[in-house]
Amino acid sequence: MLVELALRNLSRIKVRSVLAVVGIVIGVMAISSIGIFGESMKSMVLENFKNYVNEVVVTPNYMHGFDRIDEKTVKRLEGLPYAEKVIPIKSVYTLVEGRKERTYATVYGANLRDLEGILKVEKGTMRECVVGSKIADFLGVKVGEKIRINGRDVRICGILKGERRFDINTYNAVILSKREFDRIFNEKGYVMVIVMLRSMKDIDAFKNAVDRTINRKEEKVSVFEMSVIVERIKEIFNKMTLFLIAIAGVSLLVAGISILNIMLMSTLERTKEIGLMRAIGAYRETILKLFLLEAGILGLVGSLIGGALSFLGGYAIDMLILRTSKYVFTPASIGYVVLGISFGIATALISALYPAWKASKLEPIRALRYE
Amino acid sequence: MIELVNVVKKYRIGAYEVPALRGVSLRVERGEFVTIMGPSGSGKSTLLYMIGCLDKPTSGKVIIDGVDTSKLDDRRLTDLRREKIGFVFQQYYLLPTLTALENVELPMVFSGVPKGERERKARKLLELVGLEGKEDRKPMELSGGEQQRVAIARALANDPPILLCDEPTGNLDTQSGKVVMDLIKRLNVERGVTVVLVTHDPSLSVYADRVIRIRDGMIVDAG
Repeated sequence: MLVELALRNLSRIKVRSVLAVVGIVIGVMAISSIGIFGESMKSMVLENFKNYVNEVVVTPNYMHGFDRIDEKTVKRLEGLPYAEKVIPIKSVYTLVEGRKERTYATVYGANLRDLEGILKVEKGTMRECVVGSKIADFLGVKVGEKIRINGRDVRICGILKGERRFDINTYNAVILSKREFDRIFNEKGYVMVIVMLRSMKDIDAFKNAVDRTINRKEEKVSVFEMSVIVERIKEIFNKMTLFLIAIAGVSLLVAGISILNIMLMSTLERTKEIGLMRAIGAYRETILKLFLLEAGILGLVGSLIGGALSFLGGYAIDMLILRTSKYVFTPASIGYVVLGISFGIATALISALYPAWKASKLEPIRALRYE
Repeated sequence: MIELVNVVKKYRIGAYEVPALRGVSLRVERGEFVTIMGPSGSGKSTLLYMIGCLDKPTSGKVIIDGVDTSKLDDRRLTDLRREKIGFVFQQYYLLPTLTALENVELPMVFSGVPKGERERKARKLLELVGLEGKEDRKPMELSGGEQQRVAIARALANDPPILLCDEPTGNLDTQSGKVVMDLIKRLNVERGVTVVLVTHDPSLSVYADRVIRIRDGMIVDAG
């Protein structure tokens, strides 16, 4: 009956109720849509990294005076049970000359067949010498043409597909096959070893194994997991999304104030009714409950509509900014919609707390005689 | 039984203290029909609201069925109003959003009567006040006299032993007023409901067992 009464009281002030609901709809939509957008942006960026989340980069421990990883260490890494593939990489920072220009660049040497699992070429094939697209443009060279490295000519077999990475800069790198690299340079040690783990679950076991074997006497190498970076990116995007949601939350605040306003008006307009209900046996809590119920209904209706519409909003923002809608319907998006809905309902209830409290505090006699 | 012992009520209006009741002592027996008469501003409504536990005296005691109401907190007073007292007001005070039936049900909602039972009882009460067939009308769709009868039915919802009426015919024409007064008298006679009725209309005194006259916050004639 109380619910029924609340519903009828709201329908008495239809226009006001509808406007309050619209306010909540907008607020919830703003929060949830932006949540969906933030989540989409995160997913989009993380997609770049999804190929090598099970990659681990082993580097010399510079702090303890090691600047190369030796052959023996690589053999040991290969012997560890968790490693699926071990790719040792040499590198030299040196002068690279093209037809028109010359520049200093990092020249890597590695087993190109192994690297093929990690890097892709956009032109040509992955053998002998592949270069990043930016450096190729800069030097003015194409597949099939030659560049001069450290005074030796090398023919370019492929152009790397650009990709954001932390170990190798794929836009500006020159990568040689092991044979070519050793032909040009006389480098003994490796600057890094990329290890592909069977599963990311093995990461701790792998680290422990490294510490027990290679780092047993001296801290020779450090292990750096890509997942740390992924975690960091997630963290940054989550913070950013939170910040955007906080801004969107202002609209919900405004909606809350409008509910506060209509509830205060209701307590004034219905002062006599409140007095009557108190006179015929309603407790203070019953009055409090009734007003909270009314606000709760507004909040619930507004939030549900807003929640449903926020998929639309999220879709619109995603299409407008990210130009794709594939991240709109994800579990995380639903999480943000649920968050928006709960915020909407909570806002309505919190806004009604003061008016409801005020209504419940009315003295029956004063309320009845109120003009 | 209602007993008032030296009840004083002062209202504070700004810096002034206005005495509404200046020491009223009164006894109303069970089943009695008492009218309180006096000019406007004499304190008769204040007196009625004191009896109805809607307001607390500044000093003195209001005792309802042996319970000193000054010792009760808000929750207990609410319980007491709900169980012991039915109110009938001059402006009816029906909730405009509820139908006649639902208005009568409302006090039973507050006392936790289950839906089926309270609906059955509300129908019976509306029948008692002669409004069968009009259960589903909203107050706006009823005449003043009919609205007041709904209010009387509502006042009886929890079977209170006491009915307090504040100018129940004040907004009604003579004919409707008579119907309402006859109804109240019938409830007093047939159901043994104690009635305390406040009015400044001397023609209503014929219904009463006793007329109490009040002036300037004091009883001038205890009847």
